[in-house]
Amino acid sequence: MGYTIAEKILARVSENGAVRAGDEVLAKPDFVIAYDFPGYTDVIFKQMEEDFGIDKVAEPDRYALFIDHMVPAATTQEEELHQLTRDWGAKNKVPVYERKGIGHQVAAELGYATPGAFVVHFDGHISQLGTFGTLAIGVRRHLLEAFVKERIKFKVPETTRIDLTGTLQPGVTARDVFHHIVRVLGPRGCRGHVMELGGDTIDNMSLEGRQSINCLAMFTGAITALMNPDEKALTYMKERARLDIDPLFSDPDATYAARHEIDVSALEPIIVVPPSPADTRNLSEFAGTEVQVGYLGSCASGRVEDLEIAADVLEGHKVKDGFQLNVIPTSKEIMEVAAERGIISRLINAGAFISSSSCDYCFGRMGVMRAGQKAVSTGTLNVRGRMGSPDSEIYIVNAAAVAAAAIEGRIADPRPYLKG
Amino acid sequence: MALDNLKGRVAWVFEDEDFDVDQIVGVKNIKIKDPVELGKLAMSAEDPEFAAKVRPGDLLIGNHNFGYGHPHYPPMIGMRQLGIGGVIAESFSPGYWRGEIAMGFPQVACPGVLAAVNRWDEIEIDWASSTFHNHTTGVSLPIEPLSDGDRLMLEAGGLVGYLHARDKEETVG
Repeated sequence: MGYTIAEKILARVSENGAVRAGDEVLAKPDFVIAYDFPGYTDVIFKQMEEDFGIDKVAEPDRYALFIDHMVPAATTQEEELHQLTRDWGAKNKVPVYERKGIGHQVAAELGYATPGAFVVHFDGHISQLGTFGTLAIGVRRHLLEAFVKERIKFKVPETTRIDLTGTLQPGVTARDVFHHIVRVLGPRGCRGHVMELGGDTIDNMSLEGRQSINCLAMFTGAITALMNPDEKALTYMKERARLDIDPLFSDPDATYAARHEIDVSALEPIIVVPPSPADTRNLSEFAGTEVQVGYLGSCASGRVEDLEIAADVLEGHKVKDGFQLNVIPTSKEIMEVAAERGIISRLINAGAFISSSSCDYCFGRMGVMRAGQKAVSTGTLNVRGRMGSPDSEIYIVNAAAVAAAAIEGRIADPRPYLKG
Repeated sequence: MALDNLKGRVAWVFEDEDFDVDQIVGVKNIKIKDPVELGKLAMSAEDPEFAAKVRPGDLLIGNHNFGYGHPHYPPMIGMRQLGIGGVIAESFSPGYWRGEIAMGFPQVACPGVLAAVNRWDEIEIDWASSTFHNHTTGVSLPIEPLSDGDRLMLEAGGLVGYLHARDKEETVG
C-alpha cells in the first residue's frame, strides 16, 4: 500500500526509510515558527537559557518570529514584549517579521510553506500552510522541544481524506465549504488526524480559498490539513520557497483512516452560531437577526478575494448608520494588492473602517464589543467573550455576508447583492 | 520510572461533548495568571462550593473530544491548584491533550467512562494494566495506552523534565 503525503514528509525529516501512521519518530522540523505572545515566546526564551543553557540557536534560518499580535502596542508591557522578541531575534540571527501581517499568511508569502517541508508552530492555524503541500502543525507548548532540540518526538498521524465535488454557487465561498465539512463530519470528524483535501472543487478553488479551509482544520478535530500541491500551488511557491526540496504527494493507494466525498454544489451561505465553532446552520435560518458589528479579516479570511466580494456586495450601498464594519486585510502584501485594484477605496467609500493587518480584532483586543452586541465575523472563533464582553455574540459568516449585514444592520443573504 | 496510579474521587463529570475548557473559569477570566485565584474560580459558576469540596488527587471526567476549540491553560492551572490529579475522558481534542501533557498533567482516554461514573465515586487509573477502576461500583474498563512520548513526558513531570531526560539527543545550542 502507498503512503500519504504526511507520512512521506515525516519520513523525509526523520530520516527513516518509511514511516506509517502510528509510528513514533524523531523528526527535524524544517522551520520552527512562533508569534510573540506573553507566556509563550518570552517563557521559551527564558527556559532555553535558564533551563537548558542555550544562548544561541545553531541554525537560525530554521526559525522565524512574527510580531502580529498587539500591533501596534497599546501598553508599555506589550512594547517591552516586542522588544524582547526583537532582541532575541537579533542575538540569535533569527528573522523577526513585524508589521508585515498575520504570521500564518506571511509565512506563506515568505516561502516558509515550502512544498514537502515540515513546520511547527504553537498555534494550530498554521495548518493553512498545508495549501502548498507543507505539513504544518500547531504543537502548543511542545514548541519548546523544537527550540531546544534539533528533533522532536512525533507520532505519525493518520489521515482522513475528504474529496469535495461540485461548483460553488455565487456568494458561497471557501469559508462556507469549511463549515459545511464540520456540519457533515462533526467537530471530531478528523480528531487527531491530518485532514487531507482534494477533489474538483479544490482543484478549481483559488489558493486563497484553500488557505481559508486549511486554516480552520482544528475545528474538525484535525491536527492539521494538507493538500497535494498542484500546478497553482507550485507556481506560487516557485519563486518563494526557502528550501530546495522535492514536493511530495500522496500515493493513489495511500492508506487513509477514512474517506469522505462531499458534494458542495447545492451549498448555501453558512452561519456558525455562537457559542460553538461547530454549530453550523444555513444563513437563511438567521436572516433578519439584528447585528451591530462586522469583522472582515483574520488568518482565515481577509485575503484579496474576501475583500473583493465584500466590495462587490457593498457596491452602490453604504454601511448602515451605527454599524461598525472593521475590515482588516490579512497581510500588508494583500492590502497592497487590494489597494492597487481599487478594492480598498471601494470599501472605504461604502463606509468601512480599514485598518492595517493585525491579529487583534480576532481575539478581542481591538474593535471590542460591549454586552448585548452581536457581530458577524470572518474570524476564527465564536466562543463567548472572544471579541469583547462574554455577553456579546459572534456569528461566523463568509465575507460577502459580513458586507450584506453591514448594509442592512441585520444578518442577510449576500446573494441578491451579487446579481449584476 | 513508572507512573504512579491516579487515585481519587470524581470531582466533576463534564457531560457535554466537545467541551470548551475555557468555560471552567469563564472566558472573561482567561487572562488571569494567579493559580490561587484561578483555583477559586474553577467551576464556581456551577458549584460555588467546588473548591471547598475537592481533595488532592480527585479526578475529572469528560465526554468525547474534551478540550475542543482554542483551549487555554488557566482553567487547568486552577484545577491543579485545587489538587486535581488528572482528567479521564471518552476522547480528547488533540490540541488540549498536547498542551496539558506538556504540563505533566495526566490525561487518560477511556472509552465508556462517562456511563461508568457518578460524582464522588472512588476511582483509580492503573497504568501498569492500562485499566480504569471504579471502586465504588466495581466497574473496570480498559484505557487507551499512552504513546512513548506522552508517557515519558508524564513520568518526567512535564516538558522541561522530559527534555532534560532526552540528554542523548543533540541540543541545538
